Amino acid sequence: MKIRTIAFNIFAWSIVLMVAFPLFWMLVTSVKPQSELFSRPPTMLPESWTLEHYARLLFETKFLSYFWNSVILSTATTVVVVTIATLGAYSLVRFRYRGRETLAFLVLFTYLLPSVVLILPLYLMLVQLGLSNTITSLVIAYTTFALPYALWLLRSFMAGIPEDLESAALVDGASRMGAFRDIILPQLLPGIISTALFTFILSWNEYLYALVLVNSDDARPLTTGVMNMLISSFNIEWSLLMAASVMMSVPLIIVFAFLQSYLTRGFGAGGVKG
Amino acid sequence: MLGLMLIAPSVLVFCAVIVYPLISAIYLSLFQIYTPTLEGTWVGLDNYAELLATGKFWGALQTNLIWTVGTLTLQIIFGVGMALVLHQNIWFRSLARSLILFPYFISTVVAVLVWKWLFNDLYGILNHLMMTAGLIDFPIDYLGTMPNALVSVILVGAWKYFPFVVIAVLARLQSIPDQLYEAARIDGAGPIARFFDITLPQLREVLVVIVMLRAIWDFKEFDLIFLLTGGGPVTATQTLPLLVYKEAFALNQMGMASAYAVIMMLLMLAFMILYIRRTKSEGS
Amino acid sequence: MADVIFSDVQKRFGGFTAVQDLNLSIQQGEFVSLLGPSGCGKTTTLRMLAGLEFPTSGEIWIGDRVVNDLPPGQRDIAMVFQSYALYPHMSVGQNIAYPLKKRRVPKAARLEMVAKTAEMLQLTPLLHRKPKELSGGQQQRVALGRALVRDPKVFLLDEPLSNLDAKLRGNMRAELVELHQRLGRTMVYVTHDQLEAMTMSDRIAVMEGGKLQQFAPPQDVYREPANRFVAGFIGTPGMNLIDGALSHAAGRWMFDAPGISIEARNLDAAAKPGPAAMGVRPEGLTIGTGTLAGVIQSVEQTGHENIVVVRLGDDLRMTGRTAPHQLWRPGETVQCGIDAGMAHFFAQGPNGKRLNRPLSSGSSTLQESKPTPKEATS
Repeated sequence: MKIRTIAFNIFAWSIVLMVAFPLFWMLVTSVKPQSELFSRPPTMLPESWTLEHYARLLFETKFLSYFWNSVILSTATTVVVVTIATLGAYSLVRFRYRGRETLAFLVLFTYLLPSVVLILPLYLMLVQLGLSNTITSLVIAYTTFALPYALWLLRSFMAGIPEDLESAALVDGASRMGAFRDIILPQLLPGIISTALFTFILSWNEYLYALVLVNSDDARPLTTGVMNMLISSFNIEWSLLMAASVMMSVPLIIVFAFLQSYLTRGFGAGGVKG
Repeated sequence: MLGLMLIAPSVLVFCAVIVYPLISAIYLSLFQIYTPTLEGTWVGLDNYAELLATGKFWGALQTNLIWTVGTLTLQIIFGVGMALVLHQNIWFRSLARSLILFPYFISTVVAVLVWKWLFNDLYGILNHLMMTAGLIDFPIDYLGTMPNALVSVILVGAWKYFPFVVIAVLARLQSIPDQLYEAARIDGAGPIARFFDITLPQLREVLVVIVMLRAIWDFKEFDLIFLLTGGGPVTATQTLPLLVYKEAFALNQMGMASAYAVIMMLLMLAFMILYIRRTKSEGS
Repeated sequence: MADVIFSDVQKRFGGFTAVQDLNLSIQQGEFVSLLGPSGCGKTTTLRMLAGLEFPTSGEIWIGDRVVNDLPPGQRDIAMVFQSYALYPHMSVGQNIAYPLKKRRVPKAARLEMVAKTAEMLQLTPLLHRKPKELSGGQQQRVALGRALVRDPKVFLLDEPLSNLDAKLRGNMRAELVELHQRLGRTMVYVTHDQLEAMTMSDRIAVMEGGKLQQFAPPQDVYREPANRFVAGFIGTPGMNLIDGALSHAAGRWMFDAPGISIEARNLDAAAKPGPAAMGVRPEGLTIGTGTLAGVIQSVEQTGHENIVVVRLGDDLRMTGRTAPHQLWRPGETVQCGIDAGMAHFFAQGPNGKRLNRPLSSGSSTLQESKPTPKEATS
């Protein structure tokens, strides 16, 4: 192998490792025993390993209930958003009716809106509906910002399916929805998976809406739960926080390990086609 | 018609949770409202007048612009650079790609916690490493003083969001036909010439879209800055979104907060229109 | 009895008119080609027949029913798409079975019909493969199979051969003709390749700019083109078309153009003096004898004949055919002649109507053209 190639590889990987360092550090901190945590100078690799922080997190705090809330919340949002967006994308791409272009433009326009703007009236509306402080309110709220992106993604996936396939199905005797079910959905599956993953991640990571809309521990998801529970003005429990951070990122890592190709495909489809 | 039926739920969601709040925000901005009780009195455009007159708004706007431009520039430069690197056949390429994507996909909460720990003046590894390397003599306060706080925020923002640029650019890079490069080589173009004459023009379309999206998203970013510095020290890193939140929930002025929010939106709308017009005319 | 009728059909997309004043009547069992350049409206016409587009006005009949409002699945038609449109996630067998499934044909009967169709098209060993594992020719046959399995009243084919390489195309052409003869079903075939249309059809509908130019058997379209467009579109190499003017003196019509002056015979009553065009097929240009002085521009040897381009006068180029042993070289001067009996005349303009009455079937030239009997109309 040429020197240049080796040098380039080393260069490339040093950058990758630098970018990934914070995450490595997060992991390391979470397994350092409390005593070692505050040693000066700080140790790069732990001198001894322990899972005591994880144990404390899982058994002595409300972490698990927050985790469970997040799971329900993100799954529900994903199901709702993907269903609505799939049908909506089909409508936008394959049908012709007045106002179709305006709708497509509206989708883009919603990206302009800061969540901070929408939160206030949304909060009022949910209070009036009697839904404040519930997971349902979060699902509704999350749908608002997840739907435009899901629509945009699915729309570009759908546009990539040749129209002829549907025409052939119609000629073969399928109804419009029959063609959708038999022909389009199977083709759309990678796109749906990509979009579902994005939506799940978006919901899992959301902070502001959870902060404003939910105040009770019953409905609190992980993001606000962790911040709330572990940070007070007197004492920041770093080891617990790092353990919590690792745990919070676990679902994402799992998603990554198995479905990386779907995620990158999502970006590719949403971008400009070559 | 079936088409209309299919789009109906989406439209419903849009109207209920986007159009309605949007109009409400405009409506609410014309009142003075006490957040906890939601009682309000009509003040017309007074909120706007007051907003434009105080330094708070302009200060926050300036901070917002510095933050946006700073982090966007870094995101684009590092994003494109990293994409170019990852486009090559390096060892364990897919692992490298996964690792690069991580910052974008973890929660802002997690990112902030980790960086706060890294920045810690007593126990943070960053200070330790920099002192060991001889770059500094005393630990730096990354988040508590200026200009450190704004710089730190910009850097963390760049770290968190540059993978978005990487993915989009990488996807586009992979669709540039090899034949273009082969033709350029035959014509005698070296690697730098090939980058500027072939790669960049091909990337132009994607970059135009990416820059606009990231500019908009960075401009309205709340979570990262709020959790990292809370707007501090004092109001040094207070951007417009943080100001809106503060007005609404700390100062309990929901009407005023709505006015800030509306102005923010108008600014972004103006930007988007100007940007699209300019890139359309350049493109054609 | 007519199987397919277009009655005053028009199709507009917003401000653009794709098909205008279409009146077409296709007999049962006929093989009809819709022929024309891209954008002429032929695909739109086919899609209206399929039910994938709906006419803006006019009626479309299949059999004894007006089908304007019927969805494609209920029109008793089948279609082969240019891209084949095979369902990628289904196997070959499932693809062919799909139309039967939609008609709720019971499983046993389905399997039998699929097997029979596969057998007929030599697809049996491929039944379990997915479309992307097949070659272009195989995919095309699967598309055919999916259309055949239902035995519909009318077959629609949208440029099915255009994605195949030349040799395969030739083979498939013959197979399709054979299939048509065996099944005896009505087939409507869209193509831009005039050779395909000429060799396969009972009648050709030539379209241009959304309008039907001529609807006649291949020989008629070749020998008696209705207008200048059809004349120039049909035939390879194309007809020589020369702009000039007609004049009438002393009971005779003359056609004059720079470099050419020729008697115009057989004009019908509508002819008037003035700007016009003359069309002569390459076989109507004699090279070697004649009254016109020409310079050889190029010679293409195809093996069984030579295609020769000659320059007459300053600007005029004409293409002719010669026997393979007659070899001229570029730059040589030759005498040429135009067989007045094979000259058509057209009114001014790209769609100028033909001004002469049908030519006699024989010709008085040196060329080898045999008198061909006219096609018997059904």
